[in-house]
Amino acid sequence: MQHTFASKEGPLEVTLVRQGEAFVLEGHELTSHSRGRLHIRLRDGRQHLAHVAKVGDVWWIHLAGRTYRWERIEPGSSNAEDEGGLVAPMPGKVLEVLVSEGDEVEAGTPLMVLEAMKMEHRIIASTDGTVSSIHFAAGEQVVQGAVLLELV
Amino acid sequence: MADEVVVLEGETIGETYLNQAQIIQAASTTKATAIHPGFGFLSERADFARAVKEAGLTWIGPSAEAIEKMGDKMTARQTMRAAGVPVIPGEEVEEEDEMAALEALRQASTRVGYPLLLKASSGGGGKGMRAVHDPADFDQAATGARREAVAAFGDGRVYIERLLSGSKHIEIQVLADAHGRTIHLGERECSVQRRHQKVFEEAPGPTMSPEIREAMGQAAVAAAEAVDYVGAGTVEFLLAPSGEFFFLEMNTRIQVEHPVTELVTGVDIVREQLRIAGGKPMSCGPLMIRGHAIEVRLYAEDAANGFLPSIGPLSMFRPPEGPGIRLDTGVREGDEVTPNYDPMLAKLIVWAPSRPEALQKMRRALDEFVVLGTTTNIEFLRNLCDATPVVDGSTTTTTIDDLWPNGWSPPAAPMLEEASLLAAASAETLGLHRRTSTASSDDAGGPPSPFTTIQRRFP
Repeated sequence: MQHTFASKEGPLEVTLVRQGEAFVLEGHELTSHSRGRLHIRLRDGRQHLAHVAKVGDVWWIHLAGRTYRWERIEPGSSNAEDEGGLVAPMPGKVLEVLVSEGDEVEAGTPLMVLEAMKMEHRIIASTDGTVSSIHFAAGEQVVQGAVLLELV
Repeated sequence: MADEVVVLEGETIGETYLNQAQIIQAASTTKATAIHPGFGFLSERADFARAVKEAGLTWIGPSAEAIEKMGDKMTARQTMRAAGVPVIPGEEVEEEDEMAALEALRQASTRVGYPLLLKASSGGGGKGMRAVHDPADFDQAATGARREAVAAFGDGRVYIERLLSGSKHIEIQVLADAHGRTIHLGERECSVQRRHQKVFEEAPGPTMSPEIREAMGQAAVAAAEAVDYVGAGTVEFLLAPSGEFFFLEMNTRIQVEHPVTELVTGVDIVREQLRIAGGKPMSCGPLMIRGHAIEVRLYAEDAANGFLPSIGPLSMFRPPEGPGIRLDTGVREGDEVTPNYDPMLAKLIVWAPSRPEALQKMRRALDEFVVLGTTTNIEFLRNLCDATPVVDGSTTTTTIDDLWPNGWSPPAAPMLEEASLLAAASAETLGLHRRTSTASSDDAGGPPSPFTTIQRRFP
């Protein structure tokens, strides 16, 4: 059984091995499950109960006090690459746009001020570059992940 | 927990929680005779206290006059100075006009000295507050603080305080009744803060001596008496390593972290608030402090990404249980965390006979707290419980920045990460997501909820 999950290093292929009732990966074993809780025996013998829930394509896993997120990539789907856009880290409102199109900026320059949950957040240039386009003006609402402006 | 529930109309905080008329209307519809404003912004709105009284209802809180005197932080500093309570060195700037205020603040900043703190006079919850270490950053910080203050409080006045680093945030719980009795219930230490918001609070203070407790307690009682305070309130101080302490501000409400005081003193503070509002004398006897209590604030936020608020569904929300564990929360599994409200999801509070045992109980409770679907700060809080300053009680207001100057990230655990991948792949193979909804299918047994069976929307 093969699944692909997204990771920082790119798509991650996972091949599960079935052994009787159990699933095995890298020596870790899923021994049984009931009511959404998975019994897991680690390679070093420690046993834990994992809680799981799926939201959209993402599996949320709680294991030994840690929470992990694994986004499953459907077979055949294309994985759009980031295009150097600066995205809204959270939904909110644009308070102020500090640059204009064509401006040359250095890494670390504040570009935009967002407000969400009554707190201000600055969008900072991650690299040196030229502001090629600005997609929102002050006062506009943005959703999480919206591309706010682009640097080239 | 409520006998009757009224759902406020609207989406945003302004349309609902801060909509005074709607809340007073709800009281009249349900024939309630008194209003408790909770510990949010509304609790420190003097106009709301007046509106409640004018509607013929009892206001469970201090008088509008006391709220105004303490709520305006600049007036409070002046009142405290007059009452002989030491305040943090700094300057108040009363200018309203944007340009004139900036100029006056700039001049004051040179007299106060760096590093300094800009604070909104109407502020609270870390909003409209900026720390400035370099004069070059002053203008930007002052403009930002003023703007945030205008947005949050409709009042852009800010003042300057010297930033006292290496200090502890210690606060004293006070209670005053209408019969002329004002007492304190000892201290809470809430030094551990991020973005000027508390995340880890405890009682008693781990390094507190009986002498400092007594001196601070008396200063807090004097502060309350200076404004003829009636009700529950908190006087906040900064405690310098020298043992000197300075008045920070008085919160004219019950505070988020009040449970730690309740657990070590045995006093139910909300019960006392109700007695006091009803004109009865408070029922507490002499102050007794027993054992140790710790509270952590569970936020929907990404601690590994600058503590940015996060949103999403609470697909699974399973708090820990057991003796000595208390959970105060307003959310349930299946709820949605939206950007419209404060990101605090719950307060997890533990009590044990000693501080090391309380800390151990907190570690266990955090390990067992399952929240899936929305990113929370649980792992950060758990990590905090192992940090040296927390373990030995030497925390200060800069502890988080000192521990993680480049931001926090979870300690690596490659084996658990691999095992989590096994769990995700297995869950996908088993099709666990297709079994109805996670919220109901894997509920821990027990009889079905009456609210589901009668198909009533709850609350």
